[in-house]
Amino acid sequence: MSVLDVLRDFLVNDLHWDPRRAPLTPDFALIDNGVVDSMGIFMLVSFLEEQFAVEVKDEEIVPENFGTLGAIAAYVERKRQPA
Amino acid sequence: MTRQLLHHLLVETAERSPEATAVAFRGETMTYGALDAWSDRLAHLLVDVGVRRGDRVGIYREKSSGSVAAIYAILKAGAAYVPLDPHAPPARLAYIARNCGLRWLITAEEKLPLCRQMVEKQAPLEAVILPDVVPARRSDPAETLPPGVRLLAADAVAAQPASPPAVRGIELDLAYILYTSGSTGEPKGVMISHLNSLAFVRWAHQAIQVRADDVLSNHAPWHFDLSIFDVFAAVLAGATLAPVPAEMSVFPVQLAEFIAQTGITVWYSVPSVLNLLLLRGNLKPGAFPRLRTVLFAGEVFPTPHLRRLMGLLPHARFYNLYGPTETNVCTWYEVPPLPADRVAAIPIGRAIDNVEVFAMTEEGRVAAPGEVGELYVRGSTVALGYWGDSERTARGFVSHPSAPFHERVYRTGDLVRQDEQGDYLFLGRRDNQVKSRGYRIELGDVEAAIYAHPEVAECAVAALPDAVVGNRLKAFVVTRGTRPLSPSELVQFCSNLIPRYMVPEEVEFRDRLPKTSTGKIDRTELVR
Repeated sequence: MSVLDVLRDFLVNDLHWDPRRAPLTPDFALIDNGVVDSMGIFMLVSFLEEQFAVEVKDEEIVPENFGTLGAIAAYVERKRQPA
Repeated sequence: MTRQLLHHLLVETAERSPEATAVAFRGETMTYGALDAWSDRLAHLLVDVGVRRGDRVGIYREKSSGSVAAIYAILKAGAAYVPLDPHAPPARLAYIARNCGLRWLITAEEKLPLCRQMVEKQAPLEAVILPDVVPARRSDPAETLPPGVRLLAADAVAAQPASPPAVRGIELDLAYILYTSGSTGEPKGVMISHLNSLAFVRWAHQAIQVRADDVLSNHAPWHFDLSIFDVFAAVLAGATLAPVPAEMSVFPVQLAEFIAQTGITVWYSVPSVLNLLLLRGNLKPGAFPRLRTVLFAGEVFPTPHLRRLMGLLPHARFYNLYGPTETNVCTWYEVPPLPADRVAAIPIGRAIDNVEVFAMTEEGRVAAPGEVGELYVRGSTVALGYWGDSERTARGFVSHPSAPFHERVYRTGDLVRQDEQGDYLFLGRRDNQVKSRGYRIELGDVEAAIYAHPEVAECAVAALPDAVVGNRLKAFVVTRGTRPLSPSELVQFCSNLIPRYMVPEEVEFRDRLPKTSTGKIDRTELVR
């Protein structure tokens, strides 16, 4: 499974987004549409840290990295490739 | 005419300092003069479309300067405002609309499809007002609203006079209805009069010493009673109200930047928001130099977290405010420096001015210091009751147990004990009400949503204590077994019936649920 698929599964199974309300395309706005709220972001961050063995810094929890599925996937890919 | 109603706070401040900033939101500001004038125009429009003294008008939109104006406009029209959770399922909002007879809604363009869904679920809407929308930019109303529902936009507001409509009111009139979770699966509307609200607002203004140069945060949504302090104490003082943009709550580092850049001097929220700020906000010691007061309410603030936060913000004073929506706020406690080894929860404190609280034991006598009892509240801050529900009103708003004449007091359902200093300690609930993220949740309300699923044979919802959010909900479910049911399907089903904060985070399927000797579900055994 791709990173995108893993993340989509998490949003559906753990954050309980109903895909019938709106499909989770890579550019679907997660915050404005209420997919991820203030508690969801913490579950998501913990999930990323466990699933992908990355360390998420406080200052990285911003819309640029977490605003859409595509943004999260790109962020995870960047974190997994040490500079 | 003496001015003794909530909206007169705005009228007086606007007369005194029309150029002062009333609301600062997303880089834009609105002066007191502009807020007063715009809410006058909107009030006239409400009267034009048929709103009369005592009617209810809904506010269904995210926070903004326009939302603040909507609150004051409804009050100026002599009506009560009913704030609707912008993220609640339309089915629940339609229930509220039917329950209190909401015929008018002040909303925003992006909510129109949901307004349509509310009407389809028998919400009795007659007119929907979009005060921020210029007509030319509006999408075709025929596509967005059912026939028979009028749609009015900014031009209709602008055409009205900027003077208060001639509506008589007295302080016992209803000012707003706040819907909270009810134990039977339907929300109940707490009715607050102008007097109830002002008794609290005037106290808070004085006790916290809110000044004209203060900048008050507004974190809580309008349907949450914490917003009452923000919206009315700020205006009473002529201070600036700074609503927190919704997305900031999701990103703690941005929330921290917002507090610093906006120059917030008085912060008020539930503890879980402060917790997130502490845990993920990247706060440095001495952050927010302008912040002088931190108020929190709605749930217990875990003492170790509170101590750490106080250590990072040594220049701020911290207050724990306590009170169910039915009492506004009834007790308060200024948090002293907390010793490093203290783990016990801080007290809810003592009664605010002009309010009395007392605890009654199970045997029906006033609890002595040290004894456990249920907290009762007496004072002008105590609500009028629940809208359209005389039975529940009679259960919660009771005759004073030891007064020589009939006098109404509110029994909170909260168990408390008074310590040696005279401060009350919150010990727990008499019933199945829990708090999560400061929201009050009746477990029966959540269970009713789960039971609505045809595959569910039996269920119980338990609250699992959590240091960050207070409680997390877990559902234990027995299915009928006629077809497979996944936790996701059940949770998604519930999220169409109840607000997200009430939806269980976890579902566990069981073959059967443990029972007590009387045949009730054994909740203690369940979570063991």
